[in-house]
Amino acid sequence: MVAEITIRGGRMKASPNFNPDGNMSLPFLEMRKISKRFPGVQALDLVDFFCYRGEVHALIGENGAGKSTLMKILSGAYRPEAGKIFLDQKEILLSGPKDAQARGISTIYQEFNLVPELNVAENIFLGREVRKPGSPILDISAMHELSREQLAKLGSDMNSRIQIKDLTVANQQLVEIAKALSLNANIIIMDEPSAVVFGKELDALYRIIDSLREDGKTIIYISHRLEEIFKIADRATILKDGKLVGTVAPKEVDKPTIVRMMVGRSLHETYPAKGIGSKNEILEVRNLSRGKILKDVSFRAYFGEILGIAGLVGSGRTELARAIFGADSFPRGEIIFNGKEIKTSSAKNAIKLGMGFITEDRKKEGIVHSLAVAKNLTLIILKSISKACFIRKPAEREVAQKCIHKFNIMTPKLDTEIQYLSGGNQQKVILAKWINSNPKLIIMDEPTRGIDVGAKAEIYQLMRNLVQEGTTIIMISSELPEIIGMSDRILVMHQGRIVGEIASAEATEERIMMLATGQQIEKINEGKAIES
Amino acid sequence: MRGKPLNRNYVTQHKNTILVYLILAGLFIFASLATDVFFSSRNLKNVLGQAVVLGLVATGQTFVILGGGIDLSVGSIISLTSCLATGLMLGRDPMALPVIGLVLGIALFIGIVNGLLIVRTGIPPLIVTLGMMEILQGIVLMYTDAPYGEIAPSLSFIAWGQIGGVPISILFLGILIGFGIFVLKRLPVGRHLYAIGGNEETARLSAINTGRIKIYTYMTCSFMAGLCGLFMATRMGMGDPVGGEPFMLDSLVPVLIGGTSLVGGKGGLVGTLGGIFIITILHNALNLLDVSGYWQWIIQGLIILVAVAIYIKEKI
Repeated sequence: MVAEITIRGGRMKASPNFNPDGNMSLPFLEMRKISKRFPGVQALDLVDFFCYRGEVHALIGENGAGKSTLMKILSGAYRPEAGKIFLDQKEILLSGPKDAQARGISTIYQEFNLVPELNVAENIFLGREVRKPGSPILDISAMHELSREQLAKLGSDMNSRIQIKDLTVANQQLVEIAKALSLNANIIIMDEPSAVVFGKELDALYRIIDSLREDGKTIIYISHRLEEIFKIADRATILKDGKLVGTVAPKEVDKPTIVRMMVGRSLHETYPAKGIGSKNEILEVRNLSRGKILKDVSFRAYFGEILGIAGLVGSGRTELARAIFGADSFPRGEIIFNGKEIKTSSAKNAIKLGMGFITEDRKKEGIVHSLAVAKNLTLIILKSISKACFIRKPAEREVAQKCIHKFNIMTPKLDTEIQYLSGGNQQKVILAKWINSNPKLIIMDEPTRGIDVGAKAEIYQLMRNLVQEGTTIIMISSELPEIIGMSDRILVMHQGRIVGEIASAEATEERIMMLATGQQIEKINEGKAIES
Repeated sequence: MRGKPLNRNYVTQHKNTILVYLILAGLFIFASLATDVFFSSRNLKNVLGQAVVLGLVATGQTFVILGGGIDLSVGSIISLTSCLATGLMLGRDPMALPVIGLVLGIALFIGIVNGLLIVRTGIPPLIVTLGMMEILQGIVLMYTDAPYGEIAPSLSFIAWGQIGGVPISILFLGILIGFGIFVLKRLPVGRHLYAIGGNEETARLSAINTGRIKIYTYMTCSFMAGLCGLFMATRMGMGDPVGGEPFMLDSLVPVLIGGTSLVGGKGGLVGTLGGIFIITILHNALNLLDVSGYWQWIIQGLIILVAVAIYIKEKI
């Protein structure tokens, strides 16, 4: 272990583009020797953290490193057992989220804190509604006007009367930012924004972050993705296992250094070697159409390959996967699986035929939170471990034990409820669960979202092993390096159509993006303009 | 919204409410055409009077459901307040006001207890109010196991009085609902209630005192049930120890038909008002058409299922 290559914060050289006043010796925010314990874990152990005005400060680390806990302390959601917080050189004691907000600290969580049924203005002013002068009555038009002004500053002309549930994720994020700004936030904490917005929208977010920095705001940016840290952060603080590893300026270090600091070991960001797919078809999709969502989609998948599906969010990737798996019905088109046309569109039928589907939203669709790890593992193979419709406990435990061993699932016990496992381990359970049913085809929607670097590498290796055993994987991903690194072939979707197929050797991020954004159309649909 | 033409956004946001009133209008026209009696002033007055009982309790229930809760104790509160009121008044006019004060105070107290139990202990509202319902029902039956007491004669104007041909009681209900709509739409506390039902964690993090507002909703609901009990007592002249029982679940019907979501955060009193009249007119018309009570149950059940299925479908 090369842990603790301490480039401790205090000795850091600040990069020139933050702190325009040159007032470097005085950090705007300081958290000193923060400790927090939860039952069974020391979530934070004497962590120091400080930021300047006008700085984008990345906070990075694997899952469970303590990033979220540290930020929840700063946003008043948790109280630390030890340690002090100084804001503008003065010690503050945060009594709760409201107190933190009043002091200009706002947090934008990954799961947004917006009420879906309320509209934009109602959300921006939630809890501090504008009232008509001298009365308790809401001044609704004033709130709409102020909301529009705030959004306009962020370069958006969004209608403030739209309900949040009808907005895109990127626009919801914008509402969150507008809300923070209208709270006069000086410190804006963003919890993995890149986990929910992608592509152009993410670029727009970077521009907004840049302009906030110029206005002297402090942005604390929690992320897993190293690329963007190098793109936007002035400094980065790395946590591991609740301890501070160090604070660095990304401009002065390279990626492997940061990875090493994060995982405590050197980790090549290489993907497992690719295999050779066969020429035998497992799946053929012909002219699949569903309203505006899927338009005339045709493609084939072969035994023993990883077929990547790239495209922006909303391009129909997930809907295509759901249609193939029978989770949604489709009015037109044919799906031929393993030589037979699928007539009944149902998930149950798909599983019976040998398909598996690992959904994008692990928490909502992938696991049963309150069930034990062992029970989650055997959920879809209950028949095979039952006798005369009684579940045989020993068989269940045996299967579960095997999976835990084979997939290196870190769980205290077989009976631990799965909700207590880390994201990476939950994902391994899901993977194991499907593989138990010996599927011929597994569809994986964003298989490594929100999973730390170490667990990602394990999952990649597991996927490759599977494919070598002859299983086919269709992988949907928004992370281009992952798509390029893992896929044998790549299909790119744009507005419900497949707009190109790229062999793995020829794939570049630029080429995929050109296709995914509709700026170029290859092979299929030639000549048809699909500009939005 | 002021003076602006209805935009599409407005229509989509209020399509449930619009649907409720379309159904109500359809039902009204059907009833008028299908029977001779329905569209007579006497019957319409009758309908309005009938709507009050259900209206009072459903209005209170709407607040609780908007906050993501449910109150099953309303039925016993109605029985309790009506029996206590008549039992303590025993036809004595001077007792009227003190007893009304006492009875409504008890109702509010029950609401506080419901709310505190739900907020402080984390026991689900369904269970807390179910428990409360049984406890109160036991108490009422200990007090009297048969219709009992006599309402103060001076109060009969509440049940039967009219102003310009319109029953006083429906005007009273109208004022209460109007005030409720004002609270929900124009006061911060109403906005906060929608936020709690929509996403309680967000509301909490927006520095809204979610516990206090939830307690308010249970207080409102019990208070309205108390009013309902008093009103029933004035109509019947005496208290019925099991008279409130059907309202445990019937109070939910107008709320659900009115488009308020059982998980909270969506809907409101305008819809509930429509729901109240849909149910009342439906039963009135079916009675006039001599349809048996059993069939009325079946039809009401179907309407609930169809309405909620439509609301859920529209969400997608």
